[in-house]
Amino acid sequence: MAARFSVARAARQLSSSAARRPSSRVTSPCQRWQAAAPVERRLFSVSAAVKEKKYTEDHEWIELSPDGKTCTFDTLGISSYAANQLGDVVYAELPKVDLEINAGDAIGAVESVKSASDILTPVGGKVTEINRVLEEKPGQLNKDPEGEGWIAKVEAAGEPEGKLMSKQEYTAFIEEA
Amino acid sequence: MARRAFASFSETLANPANRVQSYVSRSNDPYLNLSIEDHILRTSSPDSTVLFLYTNRPCVVIGRNQNPWTEVNLGILDAATRGGQAAKSTEPPAIGDVDLVRRRSGGGTVFHDEGNVNWSITCPRATFTRDLHAEMVVRALRKLGVDRARVNERHDIVLDQGHQKGAVEPSDTHRTPYTLRDGALPRPLKVSGSAYKLTRGRALHHATTLLASPNLHIIPQYLHSPAKPFIEAKGVDSVNSPVGNIGLAINIFQRHLQEEFTAMYGETSKHTIAEIVCEEHLNIPEIRKGYEELRTEEWMWSQTPQFTLTFHPSDHLEIEMNVHHGVIKAFDLKDDHQSTHTIRKIRTVLLEQRLQDIRGWNEFLRDHLEQWDEEAGIIADWLEKYMPILKLSKL
Repeated sequence: MAARFSVARAARQLSSSAARRPSSRVTSPCQRWQAAAPVERRLFSVSAAVKEKKYTEDHEWIELSPDGKTCTFDTLGISSYAANQLGDVVYAELPKVDLEINAGDAIGAVESVKSASDILTPVGGKVTEINRVLEEKPGQLNKDPEGEGWIAKVEAAGEPEGKLMSKQEYTAFIEEA
Repeated sequence: MARRAFASFSETLANPANRVQSYVSRSNDPYLNLSIEDHILRTSSPDSTVLFLYTNRPCVVIGRNQNPWTEVNLGILDAATRGGQAAKSTEPPAIGDVDLVRRRSGGGTVFHDEGNVNWSITCPRATFTRDLHAEMVVRALRKLGVDRARVNERHDIVLDQGHQKGAVEPSDTHRTPYTLRDGALPRPLKVSGSAYKLTRGRALHHATTLLASPNLHIIPQYLHSPAKPFIEAKGVDSVNSPVGNIGLAINIFQRHLQEEFTAMYGETSKHTIAEIVCEEHLNIPEIRKGYEELRTEEWMWSQTPQFTLTFHPSDHLEIEMNVHHGVIKAFDLKDDHQSTHTIRKIRTVLLEQRLQDIRGWNEFLRDHLEQWDEEAGIIADWLEKYMPILKLSKL
């Protein structure tokens, strides 16, 4: 388990150091992936671990999408466990597109049963897209928190911070709590 | 010397040895008390439980995701802040200055005054439930002889109004001998309203407690907005409840609540900290930062969830105005073929305009329109009346 986790980390470090290369800022991120084909291929061999959804101790999830279309855009959301704990979500406060964020920032909040709960991002960068469906239907956050109820997409500018867990590790973590 | 005292407030909060802490505020400034409370939430050590008690000067406090134009009769707040000149033309007696505050927690709009005690508990999120500390407060109230107090299904505290006395397990904090079946009259009176803020590992539960408010009869006037029928808003609507006073003195309630808190948490630890906080705590940079954030126009107006105002300022006009993040995104006649020159001009002026920068609608539109006509005047007057954008006083 620990070994697999560290492979994922190493792969992440690789992909994020690529993202920090100055040239990647000039060319479109997707072109960069094509140009760096050898690196990509090497990454691809461990991509099952990279693409795996990761969970934070604050019950957010993050999914890196190195699929050639979205490149270093991470999708963020809250876990099913968190959605369940919150109760009926009545309002989702989403970040503005283009907002610059740091790892650990509250990028939004959800309100349920008179409670405002921060949504924290484990990764810094820039918000590229928000799930506008949640503005009309905040209940999506309860129905499908790890799918249709995603919160935002972020163009990552570095590695995620803090402890990230696999689904299995996360399940153990919430059972312990 | 003084500086050290403030530094020590943060250090005391953060010290893991202080698992049980209790504070009372001497200030009646709602912005300061909410900021001290937020500082407690952010700073207190992960396993600690902290009680904080405070009483605010008269203010209307809206929830984090609420719309001030639908929740609050802003016109009478404005009349109050403008003092004498406006008072004669406006109906209500006015309590004097009434602050408008948007808090960081969720939930609905409440009125605070000197007859209301706010209690707040910050605790680990793992042990938190929405009822846990409302139950603690009910136990304290019952020890003071308030045997009609219970926690209701909205996690608020109510006084049952039933006439018959039934048999009930005395330790049940969700039922009293006077509890009636759901919906039966007379309805229970709400005496305490709860709201919550959840962060990384920590939970804040805060609530009002109406002990002896002299303003119960006026509160509905403050909380009924004339603009509500015209606004369709995202976000959170308040639930209206009949309210009542418990009829206890503030200091007696505070003391008993502190005792109940100590009974619940204190005996397991000899490190119970009990201190008083006051205006000087505004010198703590984090508290000042929170205090200033709460008083910004951004937080008060632009935090408002998206809404659409649909209004008929005159028989032949029906206008739809959409506001997102406090910025006017649409201003259209519902029936577009009737669009007039004036409407088009007003639309040009208002689109992408932040509400918080419009001090008065009349003044703003007169300044920005080249020509002024009757139609513009009618629209400006309507907006002035129903959509006032108050100057947040003493900023």
